Amino acid sequence: MKEILALLKPRFWSFRNGSYSKDAKNHGLKGLLFGIVGLLFWAGIFVIFYRVLVYFQGVQGFGDVLARKLMSMVLVTLFSLLIFSSIITCLTKLYLSKDLILVHSMPVSTAKIFLARWFESTIDSSWMVIVYMLPVFLSYGIVYKAGLLFYTTVGLTILPLCLIASGISALAVVLVAVILPAGRLRSFFIFFGFALFLVLLIAFRLMRPERLVNPDTFASLILYFKSLETPGSPFLPTTWIFDSIQAALQGQVGSAVFDLALTWSFAIAMIFVITWISGATYFTGYSKAQTTAGRLFPFRGGRSRQWTYVLNHLSGPVRAFTVKEIKTFFRDQTQWPQIFLIIALIVIYLYNFSVLPLDKSPIKTVYLQNIFSFLNMGLATFVLTAVAVRFVYPAVSIEGEAFWIVRSSPVKIRTLLWIKFCVYYVPLLILTEILIVISNMLLHVTPFMMCLSVATVFLMVPGIVAMGVGFGAAYPDFQSENPAQSVTSFGGLLFMILCAGFIATVIVLEAGPVYTVFMACFRGVSLSVLQWIWLVFSFSLVLILCILAVIVPMRWGERCLSRNDKIF
Amino acid sequence: MNDLQDHRMIELKNLTKRYGDTLAVSNLNLSVSKGEIYGFIGPNGAGKTTTIRIMGGVLEPTEGMVVIGGINMADHPESVKRKIGFIPDRPFIYEKLTGMEFMRFSADLYGVDEGVFLEKAQALLKKFAILNWADELIESYSHGMKQRLIISSALLHDPTVIIVDEPMVGLDPAAIKMVKDMFRDLAEMGTTIFISTHTLAVAEDICDRIGIIHRGALIATGTTGDLRRIAGVEDADLEEVFLNLTTEEQKLQ
Repeated sequence: MKEILALLKPRFWSFRNGSYSKDAKNHGLKGLLFGIVGLLFWAGIFVIFYRVLVYFQGVQGFGDVLARKLMSMVLVTLFSLLIFSSIITCLTKLYLSKDLILVHSMPVSTAKIFLARWFESTIDSSWMVIVYMLPVFLSYGIVYKAGLLFYTTVGLTILPLCLIASGISALAVVLVAVILPAGRLRSFFIFFGFALFLVLLIAFRLMRPERLVNPDTFASLILYFKSLETPGSPFLPTTWIFDSIQAALQGQVGSAVFDLALTWSFAIAMIFVITWISGATYFTGYSKAQTTAGRLFPFRGGRSRQWTYVLNHLSGPVRAFTVKEIKTFFRDQTQWPQIFLIIALIVIYLYNFSVLPLDKSPIKTVYLQNIFSFLNMGLATFVLTAVAVRFVYPAVSIEGEAFWIVRSSPVKIRTLLWIKFCVYYVPLLILTEILIVISNMLLHVTPFMMCLSVATVFLMVPGIVAMGVGFGAAYPDFQSENPAQSVTSFGGLLFMILCAGFIATVIVLEAGPVYTVFMACFRGVSLSVLQWIWLVFSFSLVLILCILAVIVPMRWGERCLSRNDKIF
Repeated sequence: MNDLQDHRMIELKNLTKRYGDTLAVSNLNLSVSKGEIYGFIGPNGAGKTTTIRIMGGVLEPTEGMVVIGGINMADHPESVKRKIGFIPDRPFIYEKLTGMEFMRFSADLYGVDEGVFLEKAQALLKKFAILNWADELIESYSHGMKQRLIISSALLHDPTVIIVDEPMVGLDPAAIKMVKDMFRDLAEMGTTIFISTHTLAVAEDICDRIGIIHRGALIATGTTGDLRRIAGVEDADLEEVFLNLTTEEQKLQ
């Protein structure tokens, strides 16, 4: 135990020393921003669940069933999220961290190293999920006027839930590391991501959310609600936890304690099993992971004729960085699952539009189509922001410790940033335009709204991409083991907030004049001079805002990156 | 005087670098002539790497200037960098490119003619015994192989000035000898080489002049003979001279 604690100390000391570091002066502002955003999310989750539960209580006959089903779904989702996040952190902590060479050279047994790493991984992967699950259980407690037994049970069940999820993930990772051929560990990410994509798609298809808004299917929904009463599998830890919390909510102490004991005994048994298995296999897997990753696809030497023709039109430095960006992006297998997830996100996004029952709505279809089309602009650009924060924002950090090459090369930082902008701008523009055109076609919007959406998105995409590049350059992290994780950094959060503000401003600026034009067309009257002035003024502001969104962040990013000495 | 100035390839004028309150390099003045190999030695944390990085255009000085081939780095960084072959102490490169792709990347950056690229790249990779690995991803290279690749890529555009930080780290004895011979040959052909190193034997072996930096300041510079005279130890080797000078300086401070 002493050795395990010793192995955990560097992490604890690094965390404690964070306040003494050179960056500490910015911690106050960062803490405040993270605190406010975190608190808003926390309060939002609480308000939504509280209102839903209050609403359920008003549904005669089904209210409690729905509330129980909701909790069961929350627990299964929580468990799945914990397993997903634990697999990612376990892989990094157990096989990919830079300090592992030092740790494995120390006179400590493999099982102890594993336990220390696993413990660290459990905390890293669970703390945020737990924090954001508390308002859910708090809302249950308040709505059902639960006593101390409920809150104690919730506290005592969440802990083994995290341990079990993390244990299952660690077991899977340790076994995969032994089974997979040497150096193929990273490839695991690809298959994992692809599997996740399929699960998401199938799960969404099975839910058939369109039935909830179609009154014709209510008869079958009653049958569906009845099926909600079906209990979960008795072999699932989430069922024991659900039963324990439900029993505590109803004040049944014996039943709550029994399920709690079942959960804890399983969690402890799990720890014993993974310690035993890891003692025998972890080091073998770790040794294999040190071998170079083999290529998933064979190398194709040279450039094709078409590719060479395109590249010959670029200047040397632009060609060098463009080729490097594209090649490193597609060869980094850790990027691929993210691409699968984005494809899943887009498919689900478009699927939503295809099943909207516009003809059954009491509101006039033509109104609804255009309102949705307007909201669609905001949603599509927000999807773009989510993609940009994952791929564009880390584009500078991804240079990593090889950034000295850029600094010592005869290329301006400005040129590098614009190359990065162009590399990401073209595919993201195509993606967003496809998204907006297909969703508008599914909505059968008017040609005017189609043109407006396409033009607005065309103007906004450069701004969002430039903000991603600029903020990424202003807040680079060249030391990160996984630059993609910079999404959750201060700069990433700031980028998301400002993008949301930018999107909202553009939508608000366009909404008023477009409504006026729309109403004038609908009534068959022409616009007044004042309305024309308003229209021109609003659209000019949108244009200026979109231009500023490109220039300002790019210049700011360039200035910050050029002056940044901390990167070496 | 003007003739002498024409031959100065590297000039550091009042070079100062501060990291917050820490003074890493203090008012450094030195010049290196065309075809000269200049060794830069000093204890850990003396400011060698900071100086090297400022010279390579990787860091900005707080004060002072770096002039390479008569051009001020601050005024025309791209033109200056085109003249330099920069070799850092740690071989961090793009792991997802192959060795040959990295060479092509460097060639594109430094404007190496496409017609001569392949021949030059293959010759350099062969010289550094990594041609057989040219089509493998860099992530599969050992530390020494990455270092060889960086040196190869730094020489691809025929730089007039080579700035090297700890060139021998990670290289095997055969590669060390080859690099030393190559530096001598390049210097004979007029290339100016600025080497920062801890390996005093290397400095003594190949450098025409040596500068000793301690706590950010240049405390002595000259040939090994000059340094012996400054240290007051006529028959000593460079190690003794170095220890003598740095310890003396420490006592004074």
